[in-house]
Amino acid sequence: MKDQDYRSVPVSPDEVTPQDVYLSRRKFLKGMGLAGLGALLASCAPAISTGTEGLVATEDLREALTSYEAITNYVNFYEFTTNKEGVAELARDFVTEPWSVEVGGLVENPRSFSLEELRTNFAQEERIYRMRCVEGWSMVIPWLGFPLHKLLAEVKPTGAARYVSFESALVPEQMNAASSGMFPFPYLEGLRLDEAQHDLTLLATGLYGETLPPQNGAPIRLVVPWKYGFKSGKSLVRITLVENQPPTLWNTIAPQEYGFYANVNPAVSHPRWSQATERRMGESGRRETLLMNGYAEEVMPLYAGMDLKVNY
Amino acid sequence: MEQPSRRIQPKHWLLAVVHLGSLVPLARFGWLAWQGQLGFNPVETALRASGRTAVLLLLLSLAITPLRKILNLAIVQPLRKPLGLYSALYAGLHFAAFAAWDYGLDLGLIWLEFTQKPFLLLGLGALVILVVLALTSTRGWQKRLRSGWRWLQRSVYLAAVLAVAHYLLAVKGDLFTLQGDYTRPLLAAGALLLLFLLRLPGLQGWLQDRLRRE
Repeated sequence: MKDQDYRSVPVSPDEVTPQDVYLSRRKFLKGMGLAGLGALLASCAPAISTGTEGLVATEDLREALTSYEAITNYVNFYEFTTNKEGVAELARDFVTEPWSVEVGGLVENPRSFSLEELRTNFAQEERIYRMRCVEGWSMVIPWLGFPLHKLLAEVKPTGAARYVSFESALVPEQMNAASSGMFPFPYLEGLRLDEAQHDLTLLATGLYGETLPPQNGAPIRLVVPWKYGFKSGKSLVRITLVENQPPTLWNTIAPQEYGFYANVNPAVSHPRWSQATERRMGESGRRETLLMNGYAEEVMPLYAGMDLKVNY
Repeated sequence: MEQPSRRIQPKHWLLAVVHLGSLVPLARFGWLAWQGQLGFNPVETALRASGRTAVLLLLLSLAITPLRKILNLAIVQPLRKPLGLYSALYAGLHFAAFAAWDYGLDLGLIWLEFTQKPFLLLGLGALVILVVLALTSTRGWQKRLRSGWRWLQRSVYLAAVLAVAHYLLAVKGDLFTLQGDYTRPLLAAGALLLLFLLRLPGLQGWLQDRLRRE
């Protein structure tokens, strides 16, 4: 895996955004008004030097966006229900304000961020990412948010911090299936610190230029586009810097199926679902799954010298 | 009061219910497809609906003999065959949705799926048995195979075990610690276990005695 050269994924004609989608996107950007302008300006600003220049910025991913209806009505959020198309209805009244995210652990400035601070202290930018679910389906989602490294820079991880643990909200009164015993909630996820600091790793507060709806992980969620969707914890309440690899829900339940890394990789199979191909929502056939979900050029350096079949 | 239904033999009436009932899931699916109401992932909807129906009908067909013996209900016996045939039909549709709709009959990809996912082989085994049983269910084959036919038909038990195992293993989670949404497949497994128990001669006799006394 080491000295291999990864080229960015070439754009094939069928991936190019159809005209109507493109136009509606223009319209939506116009409709965003001042907030949208702010986001655009922010994304035009020079990237903070993190050693990862030339990112997959918003306009570079020329694949048709998945419809807002599909993104918001076909989701896995097991605290509400295991029925993907039932989440939106059950999560409709989920209370997301007031909200705060506790950031602590091995950091110099542990502190709590209110939702207001998360929305205004960090420039919100639009990022269009592929989303690949471990179940074998995928989407293209225009997120709104900011890179996690900006938040981490504020709390300053200490030298001992090597991993980041993410905890999702657990509110049994508002989440139908949270106390069913089917899963050991709260939902926990984790990243290695360098993965968390990668510029692609996003804290999302919205999609399609609008506030994140509850079913998609309101008010703030993680988005790690080169990993299977379950790595991107929703409705975060705690971000903790730790020394050792933190427990994660799926890895705890079924370690043989869900590795800690869970990088999208067509060469590493899963016992239930195809990882070689995927069904892009809204398309008729299947398409080939890309190494690191198409972000190999950006993220493969993180895994230099690692055997990805062992560290799946 | 006029009761025209009395003229129809109960057997025919029950058969009509079985035929109509078995076709309802297919009709419902067709209607939803026509209305564009198959959800955001129609293939997934088709796979789940067809698989679930195949298992349900298979369990119902296996419930006929214990029902007849324990409740002494001879009229239900003719329902066993159509229920089994419809189960085979839905199993076939389930496979068609997988191979043709989802994988576009791409043999390379389908082969890859079967080699990487053992639980698919369980389902395939159940399907093969059900199809063989359906094809040999005619009177002609019954005569041709003589006593072998009865033995062949008994492989339906193996098909049921394979189908329920396939159903259990299709759930996202861990079967051994039961973490995940196992409600439906566990109900199917419980029903199958019950149907096996009801075939034990001792239990069958005991139940018959109790029911007769009442």
